[in-house]
Amino acid sequence: MKTVLVVDDDKSLRRLYKVELEAEGYRVLTAENGSEARELAAEEKPDAIVMDLRMPAMDGLEAMARILRDEKRIPIILNTAYSSYQDNFLTWAADGFVIKSADLDPLKRKLREVMARASY
Amino acid sequence: MADLDTPQFPFSSSLERRLEELSILYEVSCALQKTLDEERALYTILVGVTSGRGLGFNRAFVLLEENEMLRGRLAIGPSSPEEASRIWRKLRQKHQTLGEVLASINEQTIKKDFKVNAIVDRFQIALSDPEHPLVRILRSRQACRCENGVFQPMRCSADSQTLELLGVADFAVAPLFMADKELGLLIADNAITHAPLELNNLRLLQIYAQQASAALQNTRLYKDLALQISVCESANSTLRETQASRLQAERLATIGRMAAVLAHEIRTPLVSIGGFARRVLRATAAEDPRREELQIIVSEVARLERLIDQVMASTRMIQTEYRPADINELIRSVAAMLRAEISKNGVRLAFELQAGLPAIQADESQLRQALTNLIMNSLDAMPSGGSLTLGTTVEEPFVRISVSDTGAGIAQQDWGKLFTPFFTTKAEGTGLGLTVVNQVVENHRGLLQFNSTPGQGTTFEIRLAIDPEEHVASRRQQPSSPELPS
Repeated sequence: MKTVLVVDDDKSLRRLYKVELEAEGYRVLTAENGSEARELAAEEKPDAIVMDLRMPAMDGLEAMARILRDEKRIPIILNTAYSSYQDNFLTWAADGFVIKSADLDPLKRKLREVMARASY
Repeated sequence: MADLDTPQFPFSSSLERRLEELSILYEVSCALQKTLDEERALYTILVGVTSGRGLGFNRAFVLLEENEMLRGRLAIGPSSPEEASRIWRKLRQKHQTLGEVLASINEQTIKKDFKVNAIVDRFQIALSDPEHPLVRILRSRQACRCENGVFQPMRCSADSQTLELLGVADFAVAPLFMADKELGLLIADNAITHAPLELNNLRLLQIYAQQASAALQNTRLYKDLALQISVCESANSTLRETQASRLQAERLATIGRMAAVLAHEIRTPLVSIGGFARRVLRATAAEDPRREELQIIVSEVARLERLIDQVMASTRMIQTEYRPADINELIRSVAAMLRAEISKNGVRLAFELQAGLPAIQADESQLRQALTNLIMNSLDAMPSGGSLTLGTTVEEPFVRISVSDTGAGIAQQDWGKLFTPFFTTKAEGTGLGLTVVNQVVENHRGLLQFNSTPGQGTTFEIRLAIDPEEHVASRRQQPSSPELPS
């Protein structure tokens, strides 16, 4: 069973992503900020990370940069309400960029896509 | 108007006479100071000349310079001894002082004595004739007497026209002038009483004319000033309008920024609401009547998300990244992306793309957004099918991109509002689509135009400069940091 780490500071969204992605057959871990995500990533070595960008303590960009330094192989999907982040070249290091939506299909598709790529 | 039976200056001592003169000048200048209307000033001046308590002439005429001509403007005086006698008797019974007579002048009491005004209207002397006696007097700036048809002390004969018009050979003339220009002439006579013109009278008329000139000049300056003020006021109101429209633009920009922040903040709870609603909907049995209600939540959330996308797109357009872009390729890929939407209502898609277009320096993602918005608008205008034509042509120095539909067209009363944020004619529109298109085109320093015939269709055209190297370079020099929400 593949493991997905979902990082989001919004409690309701963590719950939504957890139940929805579990229904897709993933084991889902959640973290509510960047530093927690970094620890979980190091401990659990998830197969993919779904990362919110705007979070207190450590934001998604910084968390991504640190995780990528430690765990180069883990694909990261940025999942944010802010489409303007796409203009920031720092986000280009991510494997995917999904605008947050109540329709989770694009996120699910992107997850399948990056994990299929990673398993080569 | 002089009393028939009263000597004009019944004072023997010259001191008393001086005092009387001063008091006349004082009264008249007081009255004139209160007058800003030229007509009223002229009338006041003439009343002062003819009043028994004033200078006491029988009749007075004023001629003013106008367009290189000396023209008769106004006159005062009776037309016959009988009329004079009647008027003066009446005035004497009133026992009014000069000040009271002058103070009683207003728009209603200004009446034109018919005969003398018929006379004055016929005075028309070209100033270009320096030999004309009246022109000479005007230029000399000295009052003078005409005795038996000869001006004294100039010893020049009066012209026959003046003698004929006035009907007397004895009269006084005083020029009206200011430092820098001649204004006109004051003519006074005793045509009714034939009382002799005294030297003292003449001297007083000269001083009087100077006061009258100042008053006249005042009314003219006031009129000029009033005109200047009205010009200033109209400039001021234009300025106020400009300020108001700038304020309006700034207000819209502020609303736009606020909307962007709000949109961002709303998105997260919206994803929760919609996401969970979708879950519950999926878990609800097909025959459950609540499915329909859940479906409403899901689709309303989807609508709000689209609104937020539009708001964010409209506020993202601040940064522009230019790269050489193949416009034809861009159009094909946008059309491919919207294939499902285009075919949904049975719209036929046609390309009229000119081969071998020069590359354009453009921000592809912005152009993509603009084209998407235009195409979506066209599709909305053709709910029951039609033709969508996407075209490109080279029109030096531009590449012209056109999006044409055979839809409903845009009502003419909406043309002016098309690019106003949040203006929409659609039930589900955000009113930002064309605002974004306009912003994108502006970012590219291009031109945006449209043609629309209600019932026949609409064409939007974007013109982008083929070689904007210079402005691209200058834009790149501007410091631009990625816009990060704090």
